[in-house]
Amino acid sequence: MRMFRMGKQALRAMIENKTRSFLMMLGVVIGVATLTMIASSVLGARAEVMGKVEKFGLDQIMIMAGAGRKPGVPQPIPTTLRVEDAQAMMSEIINVKDVSPQINRRDFLVKSGNKSSYAIIAAANPNWESVWNTSPESGRFISSEDTAKFARVAVIGKTIQTDLFEDEDPVGKQILLGNNPFEVIGVLEPRGTAVSGVDMDSRVVIPLSTGQKRVFNQDYLFMIKVALHDASNMSQTVEDIRALLRERHNLQKGVEDDFTLVTPTQVMNIASKLSTTFSLFLLLVSAISLIVGAIVIANIMFIAVNERKPEIGIRRAVGARKNDILAQFLMEAVSIALAGGILGIIIGLAGLKILSGFMKLPNAIMWQPIAVALVSALIVGLLAGIQPARKAAHLNPIDALK
Amino acid sequence: MIEVKNLSKVFRKESIEVQVLQDVSLSVQKGEFIAIMAPSGMGKSTLLNILGCLDKPSSGEYILDGVPVQDMDDDELSRIRNEKIGFVFQSFHLLPRMTAWENVILPLIYGDSDGDLKDRAVKVLTSVGLADRMDHLPRELSGGQQQRVAIARSLINNPRIILADEPTGNLDSASGQEIMKIFRELHSSGTTLVIVTHDMDVARQTDRIVEMKDGRISNDRPTRSPVEAAI
Ligand SMILES: Nc1ncnc2c1ncn2[C@@H]1O[C@H](COP(=O)(O)OP(=O)(O)O)[C@@H](O)[C@H]1O
Ligand SMILES: [Mg+2]
Repeated sequence: MRMFRMGKQALRAMIENKTRSFLMMLGVVIGVATLTMIASSVLGARAEVMGKVEKFGLDQIMIMAGAGRKPGVPQPIPTTLRVEDAQAMMSEIINVKDVSPQINRRDFLVKSGNKSSYAIIAAANPNWESVWNTSPESGRFISSEDTAKFARVAVIGKTIQTDLFEDEDPVGKQILLGNNPFEVIGVLEPRGTAVSGVDMDSRVVIPLSTGQKRVFNQDYLFMIKVALHDASNMSQTVEDIRALLRERHNLQKGVEDDFTLVTPTQVMNIASKLSTTFSLFLLLVSAISLIVGAIVIANIMFIAVNERKPEIGIRRAVGARKNDILAQFLMEAVSIALAGGILGIIIGLAGLKILSGFMKLPNAIMWQPIAVALVSALIVGLLAGIQPARKAAHLNPIDALK
Repeated sequence: MIEVKNLSKVFRKESIEVQVLQDVSLSVQKGEFIAIMAPSGMGKSTLLNILGCLDKPSSGEYILDGVPVQDMDDDELSRIRNEKIGFVFQSFHLLPRMTAWENVILPLIYGDSDGDLKDRAVKVLTSVGLADRMDHLPRELSGGQQQRVAIARSLINNPRIILADEPTGNLDSASGQEIMKIFRELHSSGTTLVIVTHDMDVARQTDRIVEMKDGRISNDRPTRSPVEAAI
């Protein structure tokens, strides 16, 4: 009850001195606003990364032909990765659930009538659908019959559909991959952008056999995607795959791998780097503002304690204990810092909304950044208020009343 | 009510010592109305502050309402000020941003009381004739009215004793008279009052005058001599 009544008086003191209170808040407002933005964007970015990694598949490994490959970065590839490698993994490594051997080619010109677009061609087997967890939303996927017959059939992504056919239903229509005519048999459900920035919806999937014989005229692979039974056994399986491939490719000790293994953890690391620099800069701004805010509050509180000596004397004379005076001034500092914090959160969230118009930022309001911001404001208030409040509490009441 | 024995107070500033009170002994009975008189600088306020538990004596004993207080710590003294003592000051000492009734309930904020505090303020303000000034700020009130708000504040917790340090010192004589009238009414309803003054017209209205000189009590007598009283 006593604390509640004193808290009410602290709020009054803040409202009675609007200009001063606002000045005291300013640093905290800026600090908390930037902090809210950082926390929201970092958390948002992390959520986005997690989403992408989940899309990549937490139980999946990618094997790309060539050493030191990065997802989405083209480079010349060796001819050593083969369909037989995929079959060997399937039969010799227990934890391997499924394999999708593929030939991929980026920026491949596709045409329909006078419209054209650039696609990522993936020549793959029917199990591409389950390994990539991507199914047609209309039409059908490649069948084993298609593979056996070297059929010229294609399942296309949303982007390609829109570029070539706009609103028309493309199933049954012809497209040209280079100079080869293909029949569209299905449209893939949308998958958005990959961690590497590649548009997953610009993919066109054709039978692996058709790709090898009729389009690329090559029998070696570009990559193999592997699905595991048990994701927790990831690192052991990676080592098993590496050993198997090195043996099959006759690589001597000391010779570099002629393939690259990509795991979900690596994908996560690539994606996390993007937002770090921006966050560090904002974190610095925020820390400086909060420190300056604390110094400003402390200094104005010291001035206020001097100006309000008579008030302190009166309160002491009518029975306030030292701790009551301490609590009063602390509560004033804290309520100012918290008010600044709330204002900062509002400005920070508004800023985030505006910024997300310019760059890719999440705009969902999350409670964690708000909690972080409020706790920081609380700490600033306590740190800034404690010394002035102690000074007020230890004034001699008689001197204060003079 | 008040038992003071051999009280001394020494102020130290750097190496200079000022003996303000020297060997003061004084006892005030319950229900008494006394005036402490002395020229300025003679230690009246210092004595009153000690009696009011705002300050501690350098040596000597002080028994208030049967309780020795000279060895109490700061929190205990605060509690005594809150519950047993009502202070009235020369310059009123109201909080300028608070209305009359909010000033009056200030002691209650630091006590255990709950319930409707404003109700209690209204009763006390009415008793000092300020029922219609409840929501005024101090600066909207005359000096006399401000001092009456201060008296209401000193009364809100039903204290055992009222201590007033030159309560009429900043007032014209008419307002001063109003204040003295309130004090006399309080006295006749049984409240113990100690007021400090150097105005003989004020002191005359009490029962007993204690005069001080050079930090000592130089004279302690009933206001009316037995002869006067008999007439
Ligand atoms: N805190 C203090 N430090 C030093 N000297 C003081 C202090 N307070 C009062 N004095 C001195 O004590 C003497 C008595 O002061 P005070 O009790 O206020 O007298 P009065 O109320 O009778 O005018 C004065 O000489 C004053 O200067
Ligand atoms: Mg004085």
